Amino acid sequence: MKSLIKFFSSVKLAIVLLIIITSASILGTLVPQGRSAAEYAARYGQMSDLMIRIEVTRLYQSWWYIGLLLMFSMNTIVCTLMRLPPKLKKAFQPVLEFEQKKLRSLKIKDQLETNETVEHTKERVKTALFSRRYRIKESTKKSYFFIFAQKKRLGIFGSDVVHLGLLIILAGGIISGMAGFRTTLSIKEGQTLPVPNEDFSLRLDKFETEYYANGSVKDWKSTLTVIDNDKEALSKVVEVNHPLTYKGVVFYQSSYGLHWDNPLVEIHVTDKNDASISEYITLKIGDTAVFSNQRLELHAMSFIPDFVLNERNEVVTRSLEPNNPAVFIKVVKERKEIFSGWLFAKYPDFARMHSQKETGLSFNLANFKAGQYSGIQIARDPGVSLIWAGCIFLMLGFFIAFYWIPSEIRVIIEEQKGRTRIILGGSASKKTESFKQEFEKIIEFIRK
Amino acid sequence: MNESMLFLIAFILYILSAFFYFIFLFSKKGSFAKKGYWTIIIALISHTVAMVLRIFESGHAPFTNMYESLSFLSWSAAFAYLFIERKFKIRKAGPYFMVIVIGLMALASSPLMPKEATPLVPALQSYWLWLHVSVTLFGEAFFAIAFVTSIMYLAEKYKEKKGKISPSGLTAEKLDSISYRSVGIGLPIFTLGGLVFGMVWAYKAWGSYWSWDPKEVWSLITWFVFAIYLHTRLVMGWRGKKSAIIAIIGFLAALFTYFGVNYLLSGLHSYT
Repeated sequence: MKSLIKFFSSVKLAIVLLIIITSASILGTLVPQGRSAAEYAARYGQMSDLMIRIEVTRLYQSWWYIGLLLMFSMNTIVCTLMRLPPKLKKAFQPVLEFEQKKLRSLKIKDQLETNETVEHTKERVKTALFSRRYRIKESTKKSYFFIFAQKKRLGIFGSDVVHLGLLIILAGGIISGMAGFRTTLSIKEGQTLPVPNEDFSLRLDKFETEYYANGSVKDWKSTLTVIDNDKEALSKVVEVNHPLTYKGVVFYQSSYGLHWDNPLVEIHVTDKNDASISEYITLKIGDTAVFSNQRLELHAMSFIPDFVLNERNEVVTRSLEPNNPAVFIKVVKERKEIFSGWLFAKYPDFARMHSQKETGLSFNLANFKAGQYSGIQIARDPGVSLIWAGCIFLMLGFFIAFYWIPSEIRVIIEEQKGRTRIILGGSASKKTESFKQEFEKIIEFIRK
Repeated sequence: MNESMLFLIAFILYILSAFFYFIFLFSKKGSFAKKGYWTIIIALISHTVAMVLRIFESGHAPFTNMYESLSFLSWSAAFAYLFIERKFKIRKAGPYFMVIVIGLMALASSPLMPKEATPLVPALQSYWLWLHVSVTLFGEAFFAIAFVTSIMYLAEKYKEKKGKISPSGLTAEKLDSISYRSVGIGLPIFTLGGLVFGMVWAYKAWGSYWSWDPKEVWSLITWFVFAIYLHTRLVMGWRGKKSAIIAIIGFLAALFTYFGVNYLLSGLHSYT
């Protein structure tokens, strides 16, 4: 145990670990992460098996990378704790004794003599130090009087606060990784879907895409409603950068796509024998429209985005892209079916031939519009509040470490042949230039 | 006066200021360093107006493509130089640092960088675009100062070894300390803009504060390099040459995070 603590208390270990973690991280940016085995085989050939086995292909989630991070945090904890007690002592229980020789060996120092009494001088020095906001501790020795003044004493804890922030962030990361949950729901307009692992559901009321004048996408907006206990609990327009949060679950606009469940089709009807008839009928698949003075009924039966016949002569779709869109319609006149068949948007003549033969009417698939689904990412991340807390400590620690510079001034006041001698010595860990100026101002103040 | 005109004026003025600084370097006449300093201020005004005009024209933050962000990085670098120059009097570093500013401006104006402002894709429509990118680049500008002073440190040491002692006040020791102080300014800013604001925005836009995207990893790598810099320096007492080399590596890592990742690696951050 002791040797383990000794091992982890070494700053050299921290440097070595930082170098290893940095090198490993670089490796992870050079090898594409999380691809398929086939892709690695194509890219790296025989090496790919080994790479997958040592998890270079999912490096940041690999046991050895996480192990390195854990070792590094252990190192940080031990190093910080080992150095803390002496630091606490230095800041809160400073030694109220200092040899004259040591005081004189400091880089920033001065010596004054006055005719005032020791008591008087003591008060004068204290006032000078107070005026520069120094905190004072004093002690009376046999032959002299000692003052210890310190300022911004918490400054020495900057690095500890940074380390604390880092450890909190790491803890948050571990919690996110172990207890976090993330999935994507593809949800259609009007559809209500249960949220996985939660006892409430999500409904998409409306989905729209906004475009810029040049045609590129400006925004995707999903109007979402959370339904909890059969009640509408919360409604919000979710767009990229503007998620919705409900009971610790966050809903993000993440993707979108087309679906062909019940697209809208527009059918153009003309009559060979009567040029006055030219009607555009818009209806959804499954619906029926009445037209031509109530005499004709049109049923839109089904829609295929990419029409093809398979080897068994069945109608199937080759893809979800509208490469060969076709709609199957039925037309009924006075309860008698006068036409049924496929209309192809790309081959209008095909249906016209068929329908004209039977009715004189001609049908054409003029337009169609797919339904859209919205891809909503759902995330529950219990680690995230720790991350923000850690970030605050991290930044606070940086500020303290670099800009809250502690300084100390030690003063010895003694009687010397009827006169009073003051010896001052100061030190600051950083920014010695500005401390020097302050030191001189204090001397000036005492001289006055 | 339109944006590209003002940008060009700023570019010419940066070159002019470098010219003044180089004259100062060889003639040792302080008046030329002063001229260089004021030329940077005028250049910065022109550059600032150019960026403001672009913001009004495009209606969004001026960091959405390589031209815009390079222009902002040059602006930050010039600003950072003025700041450090006022604080630490490092005008001998002026000529070298202005070469970096000019290099960035030249890269921004090269025909390889598309200049037209395109409408923002949905993921970038957020005020976090302003905070994340500007603060990160501003932090990187201070790494650039550390980079230049570190290189100057190494050169100065090399000269000392050959028996030449620099007559001016900018000693190797001072260069070493300015380099450290620049890291002290740059690292907190970089951490806030790059890592903290980056995580907050990623959480809002992508639903995850950390995705091990190459740009994220490289900003972490940059951060690790500076962590090594601080620990070797403050705990193990490394100074001078070793410190300078780590600061140089740190800046190069930051540069790769900013530039290399976009062109050599692909990921979530590929917007242009």
